[in-house]
Amino acid sequence: MSQLVFDPAKVMNIDYTQRTEYLEGLEAIQAAHKVLKEITYTPSLPDKGYTNRTLYVNVDTLEITEKPVTQQMKDVFIGGRGFGLYHLWNAVKPTTRWNDPENEIIISPGPVAGMTQYAGTGKSLVVSLSPQTDIPIDSNVGGFFGPLLKFSGFDALELQGKSDKDIILFIDGVKGIIRIEEAPTDPVDSHVLAEVLTHMYAENEADLPNISVVSTGAAAEHSLIGMLNFSFYDRRRGCVRFKQAGRGGIGTVFRNKRIRALVCRGPVVKGNLNHPADPETIARTGIKYHKEIRENDGTQCMMRRNGTAHIVEIMDAYDLLPVHNFQFGSHPDVHRIDSAYWQQRCTQATVDGCWYGCSMACAKGADGLVLKTGPYQGHMVTVDGPEYENAAGLGSNCGVFDPDALLELNFYCDTYGICTITYGTLTAFIMECYQRGILNKERTGGLEMTWGNFEADLEMMHQMARGEGFGKIAGLGVKKMKEHFIQQGWGDPQLINDIGMENKGLEYSQYMSKESLAQQGGYALTNKGPQHDEAWLIFMDMVNKQLPTFEDKAEALYYFPLFRTWFGLNGFCKLPWNDVVPADNASQPEPQKVPEHVQNYVDLFTATTGIRITKEDLIMQSARVYNFQRVFNIRMGKGLRLHDAAPYRSLGPVTREEYESRAERYDKQIVDEMGLDPVGKTTEEKMALHREWRTGRFSKLMDAVYTRRGWTLDGVPTLDRLKELGLDAFPGVVEVVKQHLS
Amino acid sequence: MIQVNEEPLDWHEGMTVRDVLRARNYRFPMLIIHVGGALIPKQDYDTATIPDGAVVKVIHLISGG
Amino acid sequence: MRQLVIDFKKCDAGRNCDHECEMECAIKVFKVDDPAQAALQIRAYEDGGGHAVLCDQCGDCVVVCPSEALKRNKLGVVMIDKQLCVGCYMCIGFCEKDAFMRNPDWIVPHKCTSCGICVKVCPHGALSIVDVPEPAVRII
Repeated sequence: MSQLVFDPAKVMNIDYTQRTEYLEGLEAIQAAHKVLKEITYTPSLPDKGYTNRTLYVNVDTLEITEKPVTQQMKDVFIGGRGFGLYHLWNAVKPTTRWNDPENEIIISPGPVAGMTQYAGTGKSLVVSLSPQTDIPIDSNVGGFFGPLLKFSGFDALELQGKSDKDIILFIDGVKGIIRIEEAPTDPVDSHVLAEVLTHMYAENEADLPNISVVSTGAAAEHSLIGMLNFSFYDRRRGCVRFKQAGRGGIGTVFRNKRIRALVCRGPVVKGNLNHPADPETIARTGIKYHKEIRENDGTQCMMRRNGTAHIVEIMDAYDLLPVHNFQFGSHPDVHRIDSAYWQQRCTQATVDGCWYGCSMACAKGADGLVLKTGPYQGHMVTVDGPEYENAAGLGSNCGVFDPDALLELNFYCDTYGICTITYGTLTAFIMECYQRGILNKERTGGLEMTWGNFEADLEMMHQMARGEGFGKIAGLGVKKMKEHFIQQGWGDPQLINDIGMENKGLEYSQYMSKESLAQQGGYALTNKGPQHDEAWLIFMDMVNKQLPTFEDKAEALYYFPLFRTWFGLNGFCKLPWNDVVPADNASQPEPQKVPEHVQNYVDLFTATTGIRITKEDLIMQSARVYNFQRVFNIRMGKGLRLHDAAPYRSLGPVTREEYESRAERYDKQIVDEMGLDPVGKTTEEKMALHREWRTGRFSKLMDAVYTRRGWTLDGVPTLDRLKELGLDAFPGVVEVVKQHLS
Repeated sequence: MIQVNEEPLDWHEGMTVRDVLRARNYRFPMLIIHVGGALIPKQDYDTATIPDGAVVKVIHLISGG
Repeated sequence: MRQLVIDFKKCDAGRNCDHECEMECAIKVFKVDDPAQAALQIRAYEDGGGHAVLCDQCGDCVVVCPSEALKRNKLGVVMIDKQLCVGCYMCIGFCEKDAFMRNPDWIVPHKCTSCGICVKVCPHGALSIVDVPEPAVRII
């Protein structure tokens, strides 16, 4: 089988080593730092994936302590998101809200994280109480911080308290120093701050790749949708790049604690720092996978060339690309922002991966962008991506099809610390409100939020970063905007609620679920809110018709969320699971699960930890954490059936235009599914029939899914289910559930 | 007439798997195709013909983020 | 660039020799008494003739290495910097010729550096070092 060789003539001629530099003020910034607390400790490397220590830092009292990782923590919570939820549970009370000092941000990489031989093994999971949802949020993020934290001696970092001054936490895993520094004059926005700090804390040029910075930007201080940037040093570009812990406003919590940045300096990375139980199996599995990428990626998803943006035109072709706030599924201008374009625009002549050993290498970068607006106008920058979510969210969902504008929106989201998915969905909501007269130029303070008006879009984003004007209102997110607009009497409350694409307070990510009942559940019946990382079932359900019954859909909504939860317990990325498949996958049983890759994961876990598991054990490991998180939501006053309700836009056509754009499909459903005759009925009458049918079947889906998950019809895990999972060992968990079981 | 993912599609003489994909605008690269229960390898999409009345399954693997 | 080449008109794929080339490479270069660890591997075909698993210094591995541990030296030979290698084995997985080697006892993989030690010991004179132009960098 031959190598995929890409023709360099297809790529724009852009020098990927050129960009604006920000190091001039470094000495002055450093001189202004004041050490508030410094301790020394003995760094240690993991043994079979675990260091067996976690680090607790209180940024108010400046307490820096270590906690042991117990066997129970490893058995029940595994690591990553599991450790995050465990620590958060112990830190908060049911009354705790995101901005209370006891709220924590926990970063944990998971036992497998830091492995360098397999693709997608550098992930950290970040957990906190979300300012948007008031329940735990978890975010799976790349970059080097998690692995370097572990190689510095810690399986997790807990941050608690609120500082009264801007601080930086520095962990030197080589010298064994942990320091809290006051950082009064540091830059605010990530692309400047992380570059300065990477150079400040690196001992020399060769040390740059051993530094990772966690930071956010100006918008995190003035909005509830702040995101965290996890840096990694790109050797070939010679610059600091980022991966984002985007969802749910953890960046906002970070700045509320007045943390400016976390900096970890780890040891020089080698292939054996994770000290796995069975390195030979890991080496063989990794090499097998690298070969699979080499042989198949070029004729499958082309992740190495396009990253996740490869599905922009695919989603458009299947009428699934969100257009104009999820009203429509395709648009004639999509070719301007499809992967054929990004393939030319992104630099191809370099290595793109957000951790070592990632042969999938989807972390594309668009270099040489000269910014046209905002505080960095005229600067030349490198922009991450754009990933599919960004192209769809900032692009088609808002009617923005100008690729440079999309890149600029993406860049400012990143450096300001804004979740691109959230921003895309909330801006699409604003634009539809503008279209329907719920908003107007007066109400937006002069912003003409018409579809595709990227100048106004960018200005709103700059306002969000400055904490001014309508941008500040937008930064509250869709849920609070809906409440605000209704309170102001700015439109029909039902319409506002129908078109505001949020559930549990979190904005939907960028797929059209309207025509796939299973995906409606895949979004709304999630723990943290509507994010596609639990279940992506649109093709199985809507296109393949593989899930004809409620029970089939419920089974998929049992298996896939649990399977995918497991990535976040261990420090894996989801993409290498299914964005390439072995050449013989088609002839395997249950090919949609990619059985060879599932076996790879079983083998990698076993080879790392020395704990022999099966693919069934894998699901049980996830089920423990998944149900724990559900109970956690209930403990915080959410997590019940009513909180899983979905906005009608996600279930069916809200407006005439939507109905008429798919009239043939919808009329046919009136005949086939409802046994009625659409002839002679007005569009409004037909929409009403659909609403009744669609909300009814969504309710039936909830029943089926809750039953399959071992929950009551109110969405509460039963005591039997908790016992089966061993969660009855936690009296606090049982106590929460008992209050809801009659 | 053939059935493709449980929906009817007009049939014509010499119709290939590729013709079906084109007719349905199935552009996703990760497909598993069965014609009358038999797996069609990817390299045969242009040549494998479909008999009238065939039941065709075009399974799209999971995608999306 | 310096490249090790083998002439199968002269090499009889180990039928009438003791794999001196592999042995010499393993012992002299890699300090192990195991020809399976040599950077070249001569394989006989059952029906006569043979082939060699051998690095031709094409440079694909340089392109995929995430830690810049692989670079061409002044002679155009692809060399591995053990200090920079993170043991990810993408070089192994992306090598079309399967010429990047791995010893389970070492973290860092290894390869032929066109040193020529094997050339001198071949009883049939089948191995030689040649100077050929560097191929263009490929995006893979």
